[in-house]
Amino acid sequence: MSRIVVLDNEAVQALQNPAHPKHRRVVSLAQVVASRKRRAATVEVAVPTAVRVEAGWDRTSPEWVFPNRLRIADVPLDAVRASTAAAIRHRTEVSVADAHLGAVIQSTSAGQQITVVTSDLGDMRLVAGDRDITVVAI
Amino acid sequence: MRIPTALRDAAALAVRELGVAASATALTTAALRATLEAVVMQAALDAHYEQHPQARPDLGDLAVAAAELDGHPLAVEPERLRRAAVEIVAKHPDASPDDVLLWAEARALSAA
Repeated sequence: MSRIVVLDNEAVQALQNPAHPKHRRVVSLAQVVASRKRRAATVEVAVPTAVRVEAGWDRTSPEWVFPNRLRIADVPLDAVRASTAAAIRHRTEVSVADAHLGAVIQSTSAGQQITVVTSDLGDMRLVAGDRDITVVAI
Repeated sequence: MRIPTALRDAAALAVRELGVAASATALTTAALRATLEAVVMQAALDAHYEQHPQARPDLGDLAVAAAELDGHPLAVEPERLRRAAVEIVAKHPDASPDDVLLWAEARALSAA
């Protein structure tokens, strides 16, 4: 069984900034992912590109070198996800970034387990629709 | 790339009989990718810990993180996991976060 770990805005900011109060907590999650990959577990960390915009994550900036090195995949807001995100936003009135995150959740293949690292449990449950997700509250 | 015959045969068998991947090549590629990603991630984390020692998680932090990632029932009892980490590391300094989870789960069952 494979797992995708999706980061929200605050998780990204906490990861980037060593002075952030939740930095060590998010680094712990990254460390567990690295250890599991080492044992050949199928687990990946991903960030929706709209979340990356909201968090200010510029991959060309030296300020973001640490998150850049952690093999966190971009999930683009392509045509299909844009439509899904628009419907989520219309239904729930969440931010564009959270709607994109919801579209990522809903476009994940049925057999894949989903963990969302977030500071906003309520919104994540809203945008996930009927998908079963594990929420890590930071 | 030369792969030992027995390993190659085992990969082919796993693909044919267990359906673990579309082909032995796909299985090999996925395993190699995962290993390289793990090595690169660990190198980045180690460099970060060297620069920011306070960011290095202890075994209790990692056990909590492992439980949270999986949605393990003990994820809501972080203090129990931290206690289990302290207990287990006294006898097994190389214990993993998953060892801690298993230990904490066993302790919870025996206490119930």
